[in-house]
Amino acid sequence: MRTDFTFVAVMMVAAVLMMGVALVGAALLRPKKPSKAKLETYECGMETVGDAWVQFRAQYYIFALIFVLFDVGGVFLFPFAVAYNSLPLYAVGILSLFILILLGSLLYAWRKGVLQWD
Amino acid sequence: MSVFEVINNILKIVGDAVAGLITSLLGAGALSEIVVMFIAAFVICGFCAVAFMAMTYAERKIVARIQDRIGPNQAGPYGVLQPLADGVKMFTKEDTTPATADRWVYNLAPLVIAVFALLTYAVIPFAPSVVGANLNIGVLYVIAVGSGSTIAIMMAGWGSNNKYSLLGAFRTVAQLVGYEVPMLLNVLPVVMLSGSMSLVDIVERQTLANGAHGIPFILMLPLSALIFLISGIAETGRSPFDLLEAESEIVAGFHVEYSGMKFALFFLGEYVNALAVSIMFAVLFLGGYAGPVLPPYIWLLLKAAAVFTVLMWLRGTLPRVRVDQLMSFNWKFLVPMSIVNVILVMVLAKVFVADPALAAANGGIAVSPGMQALILFVSNGVVLLSALGIVARHARQMRLVEAEDLEKRRAQNMLVAAKAVAQ
Amino acid sequence: MILTIQQILFIVIALVVLISAVLVVTTRNLFHAALFLVVSFFGVAGFYVLLDAGFFAAVQVMIYIGAISILFIFAVMLTRDVITSARGNSQWIAAAVVAAAIFIIAAILLGPAALIIRGREFGNVQWSDPNGPAATSATVIGDLGRGLVSFNQYAVPFLLGAVLLLVAMVGAIWVARERRSRDMAAERAAAAADDIGSDTDQPVQEELPLPDNSMATEKH
Repeated sequence: MRTDFTFVAVMMVAAVLMMGVALVGAALLRPKKPSKAKLETYECGMETVGDAWVQFRAQYYIFALIFVLFDVGGVFLFPFAVAYNSLPLYAVGILSLFILILLGSLLYAWRKGVLQWD
Repeated sequence: MSVFEVINNILKIVGDAVAGLITSLLGAGALSEIVVMFIAAFVICGFCAVAFMAMTYAERKIVARIQDRIGPNQAGPYGVLQPLADGVKMFTKEDTTPATADRWVYNLAPLVIAVFALLTYAVIPFAPSVVGANLNIGVLYVIAVGSGSTIAIMMAGWGSNNKYSLLGAFRTVAQLVGYEVPMLLNVLPVVMLSGSMSLVDIVERQTLANGAHGIPFILMLPLSALIFLISGIAETGRSPFDLLEAESEIVAGFHVEYSGMKFALFFLGEYVNALAVSIMFAVLFLGGYAGPVLPPYIWLLLKAAAVFTVLMWLRGTLPRVRVDQLMSFNWKFLVPMSIVNVILVMVLAKVFVADPALAAANGGIAVSPGMQALILFVSNGVVLLSALGIVARHARQMRLVEAEDLEKRRAQNMLVAAKAVAQ
Repeated sequence: MILTIQQILFIVIALVVLISAVLVVTTRNLFHAALFLVVSFFGVAGFYVLLDAGFFAAVQVMIYIGAISILFIFAVMLTRDVITSARGNSQWIAAAVVAAAIFIIAAILLGPAALIIRGREFGNVQWSDPNGPAATSATVIGDLGRGLVSFNQYAVPFLLGAVLLLVAMVGAIWVARERRSRDMAAERAAAAADDIGSDTDQPVQEELPLPDNSMATEKH
């Protein structure tokens, strides 16, 4: 296990090195003639008004919340899936109950209309 | 060892030879192990870079054919040198950072996205015992690394300080996180049936070695395979789920402001992710490197290429979906269907057990693997068809209501017109 | 004392986690704070790897980096002005004291407990035992799975977890609906203001409302 993750770490370092070399190499090769107009934020030729860093709508937050719940629920299922072959039938019942409760929460959200993007 | 075996195991033989050479140079120990690992990692990254170039060419050519165009044909015969020309251009193109950008975040984002895309390949088994790291959480690792790229997209969108970028990034992230749920839920049956999260074990279950049944999971779980493919396309943000780029709406989404090499890294990330999804589909559902006659690594690449061809085909033919359709399709169709499917597979595979010993130990009816596959196939089909039936009925009702509404309005208009004429 | 590779890695990761955690609370840009939090989470995943708990490392990356930080970033973007809103807090001293106290209590309670669990003596701490058994293997994940569904282990907490997620969903929707009705009220007010013919200087964007006029006008 430890050596397996060593390779993941090595891979991360190698990928950073390779991409970093590409970025630095390009930085050495390419011309650099900035001008004021070139450095403006692109907005289809319009002059930009203010920052883009403004208040966003709440709906994104709700979808992210629903996602977090399902992600957490989904992660619980994986250890079960690994043990699946050696489990008796009633264990499947418990798991089904777990998943059905998750499905229930999804149906509740649906019923309340928060899954409707508008 | 025959020539045939040498060809089949060429990756392993070369790898062992390099490892032996390094060990003889540096002596056995941690240092030479690390050096060998670095060489392997660079080889995998290099493979990704080459595959990226090949894929851009293939995609441009094939989508062009689908859309009745010729595609690149100037650089070299049939335009095969086009990716190289693109590379040279990307390397030498001036690269601007908007004056109002958040510099660090802006410049780090392409690096982060490319690194996360490449990290997936650390666990992919290219051939028997040719795998970077045979993690026992392989599947989960791939999904986790995939979810890391959402942060990079957020960084790009925020760092550019451009309204289109930020809007694109927000949409993208909402899409990516949403479609991760069906992906997770449809990997689950595969893990259940193979009893392991390691990609090597999952492939081995689909080969004929070691008493495994040799049935690729797509024949047992066609619905899971389908949903995995759809959510995989959405995860990589390819057409028809390319709202993140939506050239006609938000110009290019989160990477409007990027040019030159940084843009190339975003592009690389996209294609490397698309290849990762293709390879993952091949590994999970098509039996990975398993196959007769041809060498295993060729089989894996062929299967992945076939899946990628399907992706290109979809890209060439389907129009882009709307953002509300995207969300509804995921949360109201794919997720509930996946949940029902998971429960059904879970119960059926426990009642009809392929392994007689397990059937005796845990209760359940012992059947042959082929029979079990057939039962699961039918149940998957039933779930898909009934879901489609429900949707079709709903759509019909909607249409009826709309038609009625239209009729009512038309009658009203006639009335008004008649009144006007009378006056 | 010669450090092993694991110890060096532990120290490096601990430094990364600590420094980024400090930056989370000191940086004034909320988005940067969220990013430093991601770095910190990533470091914690590194700890899990060092502890041979690969499953938890993957879960850490998936849940905390892939989901929770996205949630944080969306929440950050719900605040009115992201860059300048961290205006210092008069209660930071009290907060620091409470945090330090909790840390000390946790260290006193959990530190020895962890050592007792590992069956080691207090004075002779070994951080990572190279000869020890690998903690997480496929069987351990399988054991976890079996434990989750067996009644004499965690079946009940497991199902309660599902109920907790359900409750969280209900709560989230309740809060969100509150917010949405408030948003709609605000929109109606804005529409009314537009009718009167106040400023029409703002760019009209469907999904990027600029309710904060002050920001746009300050820049002019």
